[in-house]
Amino acid sequence: MSLAFYYFLSITAIYILMSWALYLPYRVGQLHFMSIANMAICGYFGAYAAKSWGWPFALVLLAAVGIGGAVAFITSLAIGDAPCFTVVIVGFTYIFLIKTVIENWDLLGGTMGFFGIPRVKGLLLITYSIVFGAGFLIHRFDRSALGRAASAFFVDRDLAKSSGVDIKKLGMLLQTFSGILGGLCGVLYGFLMNNLFPEFFTFGMVGTCMTMLFVGGYTTMWGVLVSAPLLWGIPLLFPPEIASWRIIIYGVLLIAVLVIKPEGIITRKLVYNAKKKLFGRTKRTS
Amino acid sequence: MEVFVAQVINGLALGSIYVLLVTGFNLLLLVALIIHFSFPQVVVFSMYISWIVLKATGNNMLLGFLAGVGSSVLICVATAPLFQRATRKRRGVDINTTMVISLGIGMIITELLSHEFNEGFPIAFPENVAGRKALVQFGLISISEGQVYALAAGGVAVLAFFLILYRTRMGRAFRAIAEDPQNARLTGIPVLKTGILSYALTGLLGGITALLLSILLGSASAGLGESVALKVLAVSIIAGLGNLKGGLIIGILLGVLEALTQGYLSGSWSNAVVFGVMLIVILIKPKGVFGGRL
Amino acid sequence: MVRNDGKPILKIKDLSVSYGHINALKHVAMDVNEGEIVVLIGSNGAGKTTVLETVLGLNRPDTGDVLFRGKSLVRKPVDSIVRSGLFLVPEGRGDFSSMSVSDNLLLGAHHNMGDTEDKFRLVYDAFPVLEERKNQVASTLSGGERQMLAIGRALMSSPELIMIDEPSLGLAPLAVKGIFDILARLNSEGYTILLSEQNAYKALKCAHRGYVLETGTVALSGSAEELLGKERVREAYLGA
Repeated sequence: MSLAFYYFLSITAIYILMSWALYLPYRVGQLHFMSIANMAICGYFGAYAAKSWGWPFALVLLAAVGIGGAVAFITSLAIGDAPCFTVVIVGFTYIFLIKTVIENWDLLGGTMGFFGIPRVKGLLLITYSIVFGAGFLIHRFDRSALGRAASAFFVDRDLAKSSGVDIKKLGMLLQTFSGILGGLCGVLYGFLMNNLFPEFFTFGMVGTCMTMLFVGGYTTMWGVLVSAPLLWGIPLLFPPEIASWRIIIYGVLLIAVLVIKPEGIITRKLVYNAKKKLFGRTKRTS
Repeated sequence: MEVFVAQVINGLALGSIYVLLVTGFNLLLLVALIIHFSFPQVVVFSMYISWIVLKATGNNMLLGFLAGVGSSVLICVATAPLFQRATRKRRGVDINTTMVISLGIGMIITELLSHEFNEGFPIAFPENVAGRKALVQFGLISISEGQVYALAAGGVAVLAFFLILYRTRMGRAFRAIAEDPQNARLTGIPVLKTGILSYALTGLLGGITALLLSILLGSASAGLGESVALKVLAVSIIAGLGNLKGGLIIGILLGVLEALTQGYLSGSWSNAVVFGVMLIVILIKPKGVFGGRL
Repeated sequence: MVRNDGKPILKIKDLSVSYGHINALKHVAMDVNEGEIVVLIGSNGAGKTTVLETVLGLNRPDTGDVLFRGKSLVRKPVDSIVRSGLFLVPEGRGDFSSMSVSDNLLLGAHHNMGDTEDKFRLVYDAFPVLEERKNQVASTLSGGERQMLAIGRALMSSPELIMIDEPSLGLAPLAVKGIFDILARLNSEGYTILLSEQNAYKALKCAHRGYVLETGTVALSGSAEELLGKERVREAYLGA
């Protein structure tokens, strides 16, 4: 496997996980950018733990789940059912704070970056196992009663509430899951690149994942699987001068999708029809 | 003590800029019915435009100012149809869509500023423009021209804005739409056209704010838009979305808080402290201290 | 204000309106002649509000046409229709409760800001209580006063046709009497009025003609006396 392809596959997987991390809370209309802050937190923690304390990779992954989940959970106690606007601001503020902390902490390398993260054998396999695992869990969630109540949220907020679901608990669950995914992304990214820079975990990342989510289609989990490889891979085929316009093109695409076809490429209707063709009659809509 | 007073004055000037930005944001929220996350970034972009014009015309202040205002109004009005298309198509989670669209706009502006303008380096405004000359001095306390302008212009702009809102036909239409868009439509107010007017007015506010920021800060960078945007948005949450008077109070308070922490802590940590405080306030009261819509 | 007496100022032809799958109006036809008071009677959901809102341009009809002084209103934007000389006082008054009485009135004149002094004079003469309260916020007025404010706002637009949706709704009996007296007086001054009412008796007493709407179609029509005399109308609608 060529090196370029290896990196392409790995980073695509990370973007898939991160976009799923945005997909989940958006089921109830919340844009939870805090997961990117979690990515930074767990990424740096894992990197430091492995390099300076010699933690094995498995332990680092576990720590990512724990820390990412805990931070997201505690915050969700306050904003589990907050309006989207509030959630977005909280997310951005966290990102900003974490970035400031990292940049001013020499222990973490500051703006120069953190280097020397140990290599892990079979990282690609581990990464995709996590992708499959997460995808499986998300799929189960989407088909559960809870998941369907969540998707009703977009159509009619009050109807969803009256179906007996506790919106706050649902929001907390989704946000926590999102935080865990974010933490895992951070660790996977750090051990893939073997170094970390604070500039990576900021609004560029937010914009990229948002574009992937909305262009792919935010109503189903499959949208991201299509948009992430395409949006990440296609710019790589171009010479560097054009590639530096990547984020700007993402911005344009994002706006275009929202104005022209807000549901994105992969819509629920598409998924339903595809399932019918592949598996015959489905028992219920997903 | 002198540091304290000096910083309070600084804070008032800074606060009046936040007030202008929050007011523009609220105007778009109440009348155009959108959430424009990146309004402050449009303002910073206008600062860059006026800087370019200043360089090209040898520091002609009038042209620079007009360029800044012009670009702000142009961008706001040009992006209006994007927002309107999004709010018209679907029901329900409309306002979230406008939020994401504005985030997209912000993304584009920030990337442009970090790569294409001045090779991504921060820009600095020439001395005489920046008005850093001290006007008055009591010991450590010096009030610069810039601060006087910022405070005065900020005050005038806010006053003029409220006058427009409460004493003119257009302002009446704005308030009607803000209270009940459907009812306003019934009354025969062209809601869509009036919405576009509000974009223009916000653009004007933005242009003035760009001028004041140039005078007060004397420089701008790609990241400035993001950090200012975040603060302005936090102000609007804490004050309550759409709450004009609340925005006035909290904007000034934030400016003073920020200036005071800057006086006693070093640069980026003071920012962190300010954000930390805002975060805690938001977490305690996610729906706003004074309450508002949403 | 009265021009060619007796000619239909508003003509509704074969109007069908649906909300999604619900057919709210089916082939409704009615006229309003200059200088008349015409009443739409019907129970909740019969379609009275739909008729008025469609005339104003809030809904797009599936079929049919609405002609105002011979010109079609269908497909025109609401503000253009208001500028043509129609005004709707919606169910529930439609005043802006956070704004003052005078601001509310000024909103009525939004399209025609000339002679506001004269217009204010007109409204305050008709409703002296509004002049007393002209700087008060609308939410502090009583139900009857708010209805007067709503009608006053309509007057400020110098309309040729005033449409009112359920003027007596939520008002105390004394206020109801007051409102209908006012409507009769305005009509005598030349205003053409189209109103919808559940309180059929009072409405028919002051109207020239009426239409009875049942589940989206015109069940009965005729002069006010005829309708008052009909068994069917008496049984179904002449309650309160």
